[in-house]
Amino acid sequence: MHIDFHQRVFLDPWFITGFFLAVLFAFATILGPPLAPFDPWDMSFVPISPPSATHVLGINDGGQDIFSELFYAIRNTVTFGLACGLISLFIGAILGVIAGWMGGIVDMILMRVADILLAIPAIMILILTASLFRPSPWVLALILAGMMWPTISKAIRAQTLTLKESLHVKAAAQIGASNWYIIRRHLMPEMFPLYLIGFAAKARMAMFMEASLAFLGLFDPSRKSLGMMIAFAVKYYYMDIWWNWLLPPIICLSLLIMAVTFLAISLEKVLDPRLKEALGS
Amino acid sequence: MIAYTKQPIKRRLGPVISFGLAALGMIYLSYSLPRLLPGDFVTAMYSSSHVTLTAEQEAELRAYYTEEPGFGSYLLKLARLDWGYSYAFLTPVSELFFSALPWTLLLLGTANILSMLIGFVTGVEAAWRRESPFEKGMVGGMTILEGIPEISTGIILLVVFAFHLQWFPAAGADTAYAEASISARLATIGHHLVLPLVTLVLAYFPGNFLLTRNSMMMVIKAPFINTAKAKGLPARRIRYAHAARNALLPLVTRFGLRLAFMITGALVVEKIYSYPGLGMLLINAIQARDLPVIQAVVLFSSLIVLTIILLLEFVYRIIDPRIEHAH
Repeated sequence: MHIDFHQRVFLDPWFITGFFLAVLFAFATILGPPLAPFDPWDMSFVPISPPSATHVLGINDGGQDIFSELFYAIRNTVTFGLACGLISLFIGAILGVIAGWMGGIVDMILMRVADILLAIPAIMILILTASLFRPSPWVLALILAGMMWPTISKAIRAQTLTLKESLHVKAAAQIGASNWYIIRRHLMPEMFPLYLIGFAAKARMAMFMEASLAFLGLFDPSRKSLGMMIAFAVKYYYMDIWWNWLLPPIICLSLLIMAVTFLAISLEKVLDPRLKEALGS
Repeated sequence: MIAYTKQPIKRRLGPVISFGLAALGMIYLSYSLPRLLPGDFVTAMYSSSHVTLTAEQEAELRAYYTEEPGFGSYLLKLARLDWGYSYAFLTPVSELFFSALPWTLLLLGTANILSMLIGFVTGVEAAWRRESPFEKGMVGGMTILEGIPEISTGIILLVVFAFHLQWFPAAGADTAYAEASISARLATIGHHLVLPLVTLVLAYFPGNFLLTRNSMMMVIKAPFINTAKAKGLPARRIRYAHAARNALLPLVTRFGLRLAFMITGALVVEKIYSYPGLGMLLINAIQARDLPVIQAVVLFSSLIVLTIILLLEFVYRIIDPRIEHAH
């Protein structure tokens, strides 16, 4: 899996576009609170007023500044997606390597559990827990990550099985290296490209899920989210607010999902050895 | 000889067992999670209602609702379609469920079949014409479309075609109380179906296209395609009978993996167009905190999904005979 991936990936226009957009969203996420001109929970403005010099995108039905809301909404969606992607990558990588390296009964049990989790629609579990217990977004991110790891661990297990046969790993085992040592020093670092592919795919799915859950009204209504902003703006469509209230969160959400999609597709194209060979370029 | 005949049966049972376990897991979750809720049903239902209960009535109700049915009798009740009563509509949950199910099946079924067909054919043709403007344009366009979530396409189509141009109805699946002939009724149903269907097809088909094109690219390089060409077979026959048949496999295997996305998208689309399917039933139930309905819709739609994935597992064996003889 040794690929001069820095060079290849930065030549792909999709990667460059996705990366550029991702950097923009990273700025909005990190610098959101200082950049936002108003407190997004401040309800002291005139409700549903059109954009003005002080309120760039106007005021929503609750008397809150839409531009400031947007920053906090992006922040929530992005952190949810990244957290979820990281946790599922962590679980998936560890369980995948263990299943591949140990083999036998451990492998069988882990992969059976993965099959079961793959078959259950995650959104239904999220809806059930969200509507019954109203947990914090972090708990939901954790549950979602707990349902998303199987695809990552299957890819990593398959790669571990091929690595297991390679000479340097066999040599390490002959010298008497412990399981944990081989996993940590020889197996885990070699699968870096797989982590990137898995993380990008899962972060994309998590952001999509977050926006949808918020749109369906399953999060705390005081938590700013792109999906929730869209759901509220549609209700006031007749007020002619579509360009300053409805459109901005739609554009932000689409660009955000696009950024992650471009990164995921381009990483897969460059890093997946089978695909790379077939696509040539 | 004995080992040879026994193995396929064992392998055939593998997926059935893991899907059975997944189904049991889902049923157990839907049984146990509501029991972990703080407080009890009587307080939740009557504390905010206009009815004032005497202490005696309250004790009786509490005794009735805290009766522990046990997991076994819960299973029996599920099988008998005795899913309790909706708090909000006061009708049996199964009645609500089965009146919403056909709409969801209609919408999701047509969307999936259409996006599979379009995605597959365009994917095969694009891979065959590699490096052509058609292929490059399609790949670019589809990658962008893949990045636009259903929320965005749905709202934009709703605003443009239903609110602004008023070409299509903005909500519902059928015109209520219209006494029309069957053909007129089918026409209105079709008219209502257009916008949600287009939204879902736009969401599903880029994924199908990209998958088909990528796997076609791999298949086209295989030696047997050269053999077919050398035999002088017509191009269309090579494309579909030789290459595309093998490129079909990932489309089926990845279907299960993409279902999580698809169902989430379908929920969103049903909400945007107020389409009276299971998604809308679920969303209304969430807003009313109508627990029996939430429980039933979540459980049974998951069971339907499980069955579909299990069936695909067998379809996959039929279209790829290698699996039966693997290992």
